[in-house]
Amino acid sequence: MKPVEIVLVYQSLLGIYGDRGNAMVLRKRLEWRGIDATLTIVEPGDVVPSTGAVYLLGGGEDAAQISAVKGLKSDGHIFGAVERGAVLFAVCAGLQIVGNTFTVGEHDEVIEGLGLLDVDTRRGDVRAVGEILTHWTKPDGTESLITGFENHGGFTTLGPKAQPLARVEIGIGNANDGVDGAVQGTVIGTYPHGPALARNPELADHLLELALGRQLDPLPNPELDELRRQRIAHVRKHGRG
Amino acid sequence: MSALTTKAAPAALSVGERLRLRLAITAGNAAALASRLAGKGSGASVRGQILTRLVPDAFDLLLQGRRVLSVSGTNGKTTTTHLLAAAVRAGLGSDAARLVTNADGANLHYGIASALSQARRADIAVIETDERVVSDMIAVARPEILVLLNFSRDQLDRHHEIKALGRAWRVALEKAGSAGPTIVANACDPLVVWSAGTAARVIWVETDTVWHADGALCPACGELLVRVPADGRDTWDCPGCELTQPASDYRVEGTKIVLPDGKRVSPDLQVPGSFNISNAACALAAAIEFGVGIDAALAGMHTVTSPAGRFATARFGSTDARLLLAKNPAGWAEALPLAQSDPVVLAIDSVAADGKDVSWLWDVEYEQLAGRQVICTGPRAQDLAVRLSYAGVEHTITRDLEDAIATSGAAAVDVIATYTPFQALLKMAGLR
Ligand SMILES: [Zn+2]
Repeated sequence: MKPVEIVLVYQSLLGIYGDRGNAMVLRKRLEWRGIDATLTIVEPGDVVPSTGAVYLLGGGEDAAQISAVKGLKSDGHIFGAVERGAVLFAVCAGLQIVGNTFTVGEHDEVIEGLGLLDVDTRRGDVRAVGEILTHWTKPDGTESLITGFENHGGFTTLGPKAQPLARVEIGIGNANDGVDGAVQGTVIGTYPHGPALARNPELADHLLELALGRQLDPLPNPELDELRRQRIAHVRKHGRG
Repeated sequence: MSALTTKAAPAALSVGERLRLRLAITAGNAAALASRLAGKGSGASVRGQILTRLVPDAFDLLLQGRRVLSVSGTNGKTTTTHLLAAAVRAGLGSDAARLVTNADGANLHYGIASALSQARRADIAVIETDERVVSDMIAVARPEILVLLNFSRDQLDRHHEIKALGRAWRVALEKAGSAGPTIVANACDPLVVWSAGTAARVIWVETDTVWHADGALCPACGELLVRVPADGRDTWDCPGCELTQPASDYRVEGTKIVLPDGKRVSPDLQVPGSFNISNAACALAAAIEFGVGIDAALAGMHTVTSPAGRFATARFGSTDARLLLAKNPAGWAEALPLAQSDPVVLAIDSVAADGKDVSWLWDVEYEQLAGRQVICTGPRAQDLAVRLSYAGVEHTITRDLEDAIATSGAAAVDVIATYTPFQALLKMAGLR
C-alpha cells in the first residue's frame, strides 16, 4: 500500500508556534499503528503535492499570512486536493487564511483568503491569549475535550456553509461567542495553535480516519492521558492563565 | 574612534536631584541588605524597585555623566555584556574601577538603575539592555555603542509580534540622528539589519547564526527572502526591495574572528559553543570601537567563565551539574548540541518569565537526543515527555528539580533549563 502522505505547508511562514508538531504527531500515530507514512514539507516556491492525505497550516504574522495566501493561490494544488477529499487542518492564522477574508495591519486591510472555509476574520476587541478548553462532539456523537493554547487578535465568524468545531468552556475561541473553530467537509480549522494535536490525540486520529476513510485501532498512551489530565485540571483551576 | 582615557562629561544634576538620589540609594541598599540577610538572593531587584519608587527618574539620572555601551538582542545578551565588560576592563588596566555593569542580568529599568546606583563614580557603563528598554536607552543615555545581537521568537504570549520591537528601535535611532550610537550588529539577521537601518553608523558582524526560522520574510516589504551563495557562504537578500545582507566589517570563521584588516584572531574563550564565538565577535568589535586594544580585549574576554551562572557547574547530591540556560527555540538550538551527557536533564517551566505557552517545545529538535536518556523535570515535565515520545527519545520524569539531578545516578550531567528553573538551580547551588 502507498504510504499516507502528510503535507506540512509553508512551515517557515506558518509555523511560529511549533505548528510543525501537528505533522510529527500525525505521522507518528500512523507509524505506531504500523501504517506507512511520509511527511512532505513544502516551502514557498515549492510545488504543493496533489497527492497528500492531510494538509496542515499553522500560525504566523500578518506578512506571512499574505505571503502564504499568495503562494497557495498561484500554486493552486491545494484546491484540487480538498476537492478530491483530502483533509485540510488549519490552526490559528491558518484558520484565518483558509477562510473568505481576514484583516492585517493597523488599518485592518481586508485580504482575500483561500475561500475553502466559509468564515471571515476581523480584528477582535481583545487579544485572545491563554489556555483554552473546548468540547468537541465526535462523529460518533460522544464528546471529547480539546485542550490547547490560543494566541490571536482576529475574531472569526462563521457563514452558513461552515459548522463550529467545538463549544468553548474556557477561553475565547472564534470570537468570544462560545464556539471555536469551523468544519466544512474535510476542512477543519481551530484556534488552539501549535501542536494542538499533541494534546488532543482523538482529534488527531479523527483527521487520519477522515483521510483514510476507515476506523483506526485505539492507541493507549498513559503519558499522554496524564498530560491531558494535568492541562485540563490546570485550566479549570487557574483559568486562561 | 573614541579613546578609553576620555572621561564622560560629569552629570549635570541639581543639588536636589543629588540629594534625592542619595537618600533613595541608601533606602534601596538597606532593603537589599535585608533581603540578603533573609536569604532571598542578592537584593538587587528589591533595591532597584525601591530606588525607582522613591525617584521615578532614577534610570535617567543615574545614566547621566557616563559613557554608555549597551547590549541587546533576544539571546546572548548576558554573556556578551560580560565579554564586553571584561574587554573594556582589561583595556582600563589599573583604572578598571571606572567601569560599572549589570553583571546579574537584571536588564529592565530598575535592574539597570540598581547596578548603576552601586558605582556612582564609574564613568563607563556596560549595560545589558532588555529589547523593550533599548528605545529608552537610546533616548536617555545617548550610548556611544549599541550592540544588537539577534532577534527571534521569544515568549510570544507576551510579545505578539517579533517585528514590533525592531520598529521601535528604528524610530528611536532615527530620532537620535547623528548623535545616536554606533551600532555593532549581526549582519546575518534580517530583522536586526532592518532595525538598525535608521542608525547613523553601523559596524556589521557576520556571525555563525544557526537559527533562521524567523528570517523567512523581508521585514521591510514582506517579500520572501532568498539565500544567495557568496564566497562559499550563504547570504540573504530581498528580491522585493533594497534590503540585503550588508558587507561585514568583522566575520566569524569557525573558532576564529576575522578583523576588518583581514587579520584572524582566536578568542580562546572559556565559555563554550560556537554561538559564543559570535557573541565574542560582537563584543570585540564594540571594544575596539571604544578604543580598547585587540590584545587587551582578547585577554579580558578570556577571563569570562560563567556569566550570571550560565555554564556554571554545581553539585547536587553526588552529581556535578553543568547549568545551561535556554529561553526560546533559538536558544535551545544552541544549547542542545552542547549538552553531551547521558543522561541529560531538561527542566521546563511556564510561568511568565518562561513564557506561558510551551508550544515552542515542538520547534526544538529534540530528535538529536535519540539514543540517550533524558530526565524531564520542572512543572511542565509532562509536556516535554510527550514531545520526547513523539521524537523517539527515551526519558523518565522527576518533577522535583533537585531530585532530578541528585537521583540521576551519574557523576556529571548537563542540565538545560528555561529561565525559572535555571534561576532556581543557581539559588539552590548558592550561585546567586
Ligand atoms: Zn524587502
